[in-house]
Amino acid sequence: MTHDRLLRVSNFWFRLLLRVYPAEFRDGVGTDVMEAYKHRASVMLNRSGVRGLAWLWLRALADALWNGLGERLRPATSSRRTGDWGRDLELARRRLMRSRVFVAATIGTLTVGLGAFAVVYTAVEKVLIERMPYHDPDNLYFVWRDQSAAGGLQRNWLAGPDVADLQKAGGVIEGAVGLQLSVPTLSARPDGEPQQTLTMLMSPNLFELLGVSPMLGRGFAANEVGPARPSVIILSHVLWKRLGGNPSTIGSTVWLSGSPYTVIGVMGPDFRFVRHSNLGPPQEPDAFLPFMFHLKDQDPLNPNMTTFASLIRVRAGTSPELVAAAVDDVARVVNARNRAVTPIKLYPIRLQDDLVASIRPVLLALAIAAVVLILVLTVNLSSLLLARAAEREREFAVSRALGANSSAIVRAMVIEGGILGLAGGGAGALVGLWGARMLVALAPLDLPRRNEIALDWSVAAVVTTVGLVLGVTAAALPAAWVSRASLSTLISMGAVRGAGSSQRLRRGTVIAQVALTLMLLSAGGLVARSFEQLLAADPGFTPSGLLTFRVAMDPRLFPKAEDAFGFQDRVHAALAALPGVRNVSATTALPLTGSAPQNSVWGWRETITIPGAPGNTGDSQRDSVLVDVITTRAGYAESMSMRVLAGRSFETARHENVQEALIDRHLASQFFPTGTPIGATIPFIRGKSLRIVGVVKQTRLSSLHEDGRSQLFIRAEDWVRNIPVWVIKTEGDPRALIPEVRQAIRQIDPRIPISSVQTMDEIVTDALRQQRISVVLIGAFALGALLLVAMGLFGMISGSVVRRRGELSIRLALGASPQAMLRLVLLEGALLVATGMVIAIPGMIAAGGLIRGLLVGVSPWDPFTLFAVALGLLIVTMTACYVPARRVLRIEPARLLRQG
Amino acid sequence: MRGTYFHMGTDRDRIETYLPLRSVEFHILLSLAAGERHGYGIIHDIEERDNSAVPDVGTMYRALVRMVESGLIESTGRTDPGDERRNYYRITPRGLRVAKAEAQRLHALMRAARLGGLLEKKVT
Repeated sequence: MTHDRLLRVSNFWFRLLLRVYPAEFRDGVGTDVMEAYKHRASVMLNRSGVRGLAWLWLRALADALWNGLGERLRPATSSRRTGDWGRDLELARRRLMRSRVFVAATIGTLTVGLGAFAVVYTAVEKVLIERMPYHDPDNLYFVWRDQSAAGGLQRNWLAGPDVADLQKAGGVIEGAVGLQLSVPTLSARPDGEPQQTLTMLMSPNLFELLGVSPMLGRGFAANEVGPARPSVIILSHVLWKRLGGNPSTIGSTVWLSGSPYTVIGVMGPDFRFVRHSNLGPPQEPDAFLPFMFHLKDQDPLNPNMTTFASLIRVRAGTSPELVAAAVDDVARVVNARNRAVTPIKLYPIRLQDDLVASIRPVLLALAIAAVVLILVLTVNLSSLLLARAAEREREFAVSRALGANSSAIVRAMVIEGGILGLAGGGAGALVGLWGARMLVALAPLDLPRRNEIALDWSVAAVVTTVGLVLGVTAAALPAAWVSRASLSTLISMGAVRGAGSSQRLRRGTVIAQVALTLMLLSAGGLVARSFEQLLAADPGFTPSGLLTFRVAMDPRLFPKAEDAFGFQDRVHAALAALPGVRNVSATTALPLTGSAPQNSVWGWRETITIPGAPGNTGDSQRDSVLVDVITTRAGYAESMSMRVLAGRSFETARHENVQEALIDRHLASQFFPTGTPIGATIPFIRGKSLRIVGVVKQTRLSSLHEDGRSQLFIRAEDWVRNIPVWVIKTEGDPRALIPEVRQAIRQIDPRIPISSVQTMDEIVTDALRQQRISVVLIGAFALGALLLVAMGLFGMISGSVVRRRGELSIRLALGASPQAMLRLVLLEGALLVATGMVIAIPGMIAAGGLIRGLLVGVSPWDPFTLFAVALGLLIVTMTACYVPARRVLRIEPARLLRQG
Repeated sequence: MRGTYFHMGTDRDRIETYLPLRSVEFHILLSLAAGERHGYGIIHDIEERDNSAVPDVGTMYRALVRMVESGLIESTGRTDPGDERRNYYRITPRGLRVAKAEAQRLHALMRAARLGGLLEKKVT
């Protein structure tokens, strides 16, 4: 290439680079810059040839990028032709810096609002949206057994042969596993202190099905199942850490209820798997064991021994309908095998959907509340910016009249909103960081995946972006208004004092805020009222002063029934002797822990009939009832302060050949609508009969607010049963007794561990966590919105009073009473609030429908609550109006009119 | 409007507020102290003086624009016979004062460096 050619290319390149500089700079010195570069280029080419020229080009590129962009971003440079974001930014920053209080208040409000949004968004994202850490988790389904046609559970576990049928099914079902939980004791040494360990008994292929493998060692082999299986165990990461966290654990031996097991694997720290329960929360095991039997051999004679949760994996890409059809086919096989009169159904639910089903309504309601809060924030910011713009209305109009570009004014407004929103979003993300931790602390223990809830960068980015969008959106309304402001409209409206048409828009924002706030408040009110109902509910026992704990009696330590009885009697005596103890008893099923590990494993259900009872209908299906069998020692009703409705509770004295029973009032009213159940007999297991000695209210096992399955209490002393849970009624603080209880049990038998020490009050609190978190968060959102709307009205009315000073003083001068003037101003506010409330009615109805799933004992459209909430809103808003409206009374017409 | 404000402000008359100068600014003042120059002439001067300190073209012209704005130099309005749009610059009295003050500042630093043993002592 010739030198001339090269220089021409070179010139083209420099001209291109010059475009990086703002127009004004180009106008001023563009020619000089080109000249200088041309000169350099020819010098360079002569001195160093093409290579030197190329180097210059690169150098010029860096130069243009650095200086050109730097010049564009330089605040003081005004480039009127193309607009200059740097200057606009600087102007907006300066304007904001002049009103620090406004900025601080606005950013503070946004921070709190967006922080709350961040917390809720995190929870929703992690629990509902983020996928489970398994291979293709969307192809994993839990299968449940619907026995409702036969009067049983709609969501029941499967029988062993059912799971075996799923495994044989083939087709789209690629694999199936059965899962059970057990609570054996585990110790690292044969003589070590045994710890109760929640253990999953499972088909050996669970880990393959999930697509995960142990961090250390290996998984179970396909043949490591059945009666002849080797004694092998896989530990969770948590348990492995507790045992020392040593890699040499692989191959070592642990003792499970006294038998040696070889550790063959340890799961990784990120691995989590929970056994879904048919009722209540899922449970996370610490150790994994293959079944000691074959699923198909599990009690084929009793098709209702349904104790297995079942997880299947389907072929990738299978639609949920096809999965349901495949599972349906298996159900037909099951029904044919059982020769069932009333067939059962099987149905699949996707793993994640199943896991989050119970928490989904809460999170969705919270998410919607958070979105409404964001809307309130937006409207609020919008009205604040509008007020600020209105103060400068004259300035805008004059500068427009003088030829200022309206797009520049709009840009300035939008930038102002954007800066505020961005700052609020950034600060909100930080607040969310701590808030998310608080949420986890406050969250129900059974919130799925609660360990994974932490604010990460993606959430922070989302929240900051939401803040920015919020700010820009909020600025759109004032910007649109400002761009229309012109001198002629100002003059024609005679509003040269400013704040003319903006007032209409501000009224609109107040109405919108009132409407949105009322929706939030009504939701908050309903949730709070439902919580109140829960607190007031009578669960059938009195929790105060009760200490509960588990004493695991290893059957091998008590080979004979007398030994077990003897031990229990000694425990009873030792506990009763402790100071401050009023009653001691024990049970197999503690209230409100119906599905917690300590009960689910021991849960005992039987189908009973009461022959000869007056309530029998003759329909054998209807006359046999599935009941929860709760075994208790004598004194249980007294310890728990159960409500005995008829007859008496269990006595300590034993009668040979008499097995006593208590029934709940549902059984009593079904079987004995007339006459008394006392003295009636119920045929029971092992050919024995129970004699009904009393009728009680249920001690609710799973829900605080409603009765569950019918309950049948039998007396522990009449049967050889392991009674694991002890309860002590004390006079003082039950927790103070814990050391003495431990000491007492250790003195009786040091090999027996005690665990799950809780007061009954703690158990009740735990049961209420989900409701409490809804109340706290939705309530906080609603109160925040209320505060915002009050602030909005306050500003509105004070602005209005100032603006109408002239008019009001003329009226006063003409003889109107100050009170009448006050009413006039208040009416303005009341009208806005009333309009907002009317607009909110459909929203309130929709909100009620959305949170229906969260409400207990209160209708989603409870008129009392909604009325109270509306009244509350009215009082707060009218107070917010009244305070600034009182300025009317201080108007001195004479002075004002003189001032003109 | 704002320009007036800048020139009337008292701060702007205080020489120290300009110090220290960036090296490109000092070079520009140095060149113009010797007489009027256009931009490329200044670059040429710098090359002659110290080849390692030659600024990028963009850096140089931005500095020129900035210094005109702050009143250290001014555009002469003289046009070049070859290209009527080429700008010529000259130093203002204030620019001269600033350049001298900067030179003194540098001189003081040099003396300090010598006393501190960073530079070899030389009789001036």
